[in-house]
Amino acid sequence: MIAKAVAVAKWEYLEKVKSKAFLIGLFLTPVIMVAMGVIPGLLASREDTETKVIGVIDPTGELAVPLSKAMQDKYRLSNGEPNYLIRLLRVGRGIDAQEAVSEASRLAANDEIEGFCLISTGPDPDSVVEYRSKAVGDFRIGMRLEETIRSILQERKAIARGIDPAMMRDLSVKLDVKMIKLSKTGETEDAGFERVFLSAYVFLMMLFLLIVTSGQLLVRSILEEKSNRIVEVLVSSVSPTELMAGKVLGLSALGFTQIGFWTLIGVAASLNFGITLIAIDHALLLIMYFVLGYLFYAAVFIGAGSPLSTEQEAQQVTSYLVILLVIPIVLAMPAMKDPEAVWLKVLSFVPFLTPTMMALRIPIQTPAAWEIAATVLLMIASIYGAMVAAGRIFRIGILSTGKSPKLAEILRWAKEG
Amino acid sequence: MLVASNLRKVFSTVVAVDGVSFEIQRGEILGLLGPNGAGKTTTIRIILNILEADGGTVTYDGEPFSASVRDRIGYLPEERGLYRKSRLLDTITYFAELRGMKRSTARAEALRWLNRVSLSEYRDRKVEELSKGNQQKVQFITSIIHDPSLVVLDEPLSGLDPVHQILFMEIFRELKQAGKAIVFSTHQMDQAEKLSDTLCLINKGKVVLGGSVRDVKRQYGTNSVHVEFDGDGAFMSSLPGVRRAMLFENAAELELVPGARTQELLSAMNGKVELRKFELLEPSLQSIFIQIVGGPAGGAPAAREVA
Repeated sequence: MIAKAVAVAKWEYLEKVKSKAFLIGLFLTPVIMVAMGVIPGLLASREDTETKVIGVIDPTGELAVPLSKAMQDKYRLSNGEPNYLIRLLRVGRGIDAQEAVSEASRLAANDEIEGFCLISTGPDPDSVVEYRSKAVGDFRIGMRLEETIRSILQERKAIARGIDPAMMRDLSVKLDVKMIKLSKTGETEDAGFERVFLSAYVFLMMLFLLIVTSGQLLVRSILEEKSNRIVEVLVSSVSPTELMAGKVLGLSALGFTQIGFWTLIGVAASLNFGITLIAIDHALLLIMYFVLGYLFYAAVFIGAGSPLSTEQEAQQVTSYLVILLVIPIVLAMPAMKDPEAVWLKVLSFVPFLTPTMMALRIPIQTPAAWEIAATVLLMIASIYGAMVAAGRIFRIGILSTGKSPKLAEILRWAKEG
Repeated sequence: MLVASNLRKVFSTVVAVDGVSFEIQRGEILGLLGPNGAGKTTTIRIILNILEADGGTVTYDGEPFSASVRDRIGYLPEERGLYRKSRLLDTITYFAELRGMKRSTARAEALRWLNRVSLSEYRDRKVEELSKGNQQKVQFITSIIHDPSLVVLDEPLSGLDPVHQILFMEIFRELKQAGKAIVFSTHQMDQAEKLSDTLCLINKGKVVLGGSVRDVKRQYGTNSVHVEFDGDGAFMSSLPGVRRAMLFENAAELELVPGARTQELLSAMNGKVELRKFELLEPSLQSIFIQIVGGPAGGAPAAREVA
């Protein structure tokens, strides 16, 4: 009895471990994770390689020249050339600002200038400066213009009051408010917003990819066995229960291989680069929810996949399940803002969402002990229920071909066996 | 070895199998015949306990089905298929393990059989790299590797070239000599005639004819004549003494009314066609089949196939 289930498990494991889909998922997922975290930052912080020309329209006639000088002196390319050249478009009182803007816009559209800076003539000239460009995503230009103009204005004010600009620079204070996360017991944890957000995100994505890849592998293998009728030989050799148990076992082994491999990478990365994404107790909790979620979804995929007979249907069904799994990813941001929200707790008690919701919440703020205990019990009960139902559907579903049964019919199988 | 009695299976409103009974001893080959959709495959699935019958019983050496019975049965399904991406030796070993063989014995047996069907050099190739015929050989091995006492083969020879057919039939005879009970289904009568000891002809879910091949032939022992000729033989069906004619290109099988005189028949043909052969026959199973089922198409509405 058990020997046959083990034989099935071994086969499922070995055949899938060697499959391309699995290997790609195994190696590509960490790469994607790292890429998602690192590449946008790298791209954003990449230095310019060419001098950019920035136009200035200055109806006050006072800022353009010092701005031009300061920008050219302060920011240099790696080859020593100035990073920015300021082109004075219209400067001085009495210029027609509207005409100047439309002309400058044309220049920007023709790529003759990167963008242009419009200094307002309002009563309080230090408040409004506009920068118009086709590439407003380059926030560095904005930051640098802001900083430069601010210091010019400050300096000017200082001089007007008879303060030495050097002393003024001396007096300025730089301050950062550092956000420090407190744990349940009130201890400080070294985790800022980005860190918490990133780790919540990374674990969610990992759980998501883990469940989706192995779920698809499972459904595809059932479909293959159905379409070439291997399944008939299988169920004449072993009982459907043995067959399903073997599949779940094999698949779990596959999942743990994946988790194990990723954990190794994670440990290696944190040892090498000194980054700890997560505390050890959190990691253990997460692994527990990974396992629970994995088993639950294994049953769901078996139940949903075994009545199907074509690849198209399988894709459709998988995509519905993917939507369920994506929900917490979408909720990551609001969950960060208000980790105590009632709706978070409610959603954590929907078995389809429990593992992912908890994976999302744990790095942000560890849920209360009773919540953990209750959700774990809920998951164990759900896994049991789902396995029983999946077993009933599986027994009938794997032998049905042709037109796929209606949902109502499948539910009847699940209920009556 | 195997006794099936009064099997019945209903799919929603279609009665696929209706009171089918037969039995088979060790060392015997039972041909399960019938037109497409007659209920052969459903019957086979019930024997294998893949489907649960709505009525009737099946016993194996006098016992009802149990998990241990599984390991004594070998099965080749009608639609062929193996894991395409897996290696030959691994695949065969796996299926043998599922039938309760130990891994090491399974491997040794797999190698022996691969050698037997001249595939040993492909042992580490993937299944998909093999030709259709060779894939069938592999699948056939998976159905007999564990030395089962009951072998169930659904359309085992279909799609095989003559060389492979001969190889398979040779192995069937060996299995029979080794005392296995073999059930095989086919709708090709000549195969059934060559291979089986006992027949069970099913139509529309019912057994319409059963017994040993000799008994069946005796029972339907009308005279018939096989003629081969050049020319148009269309007139033959209306010759005196001919009850039924099956006309082929340049050949015909004529069933005669009792007491018909073949000499008259021969002279009636003279001059109309160029006769090359005129032979008195026992009826072929083919003609019996058609006589019972009524027409080559079988006339049976296809029952919904539930795989």
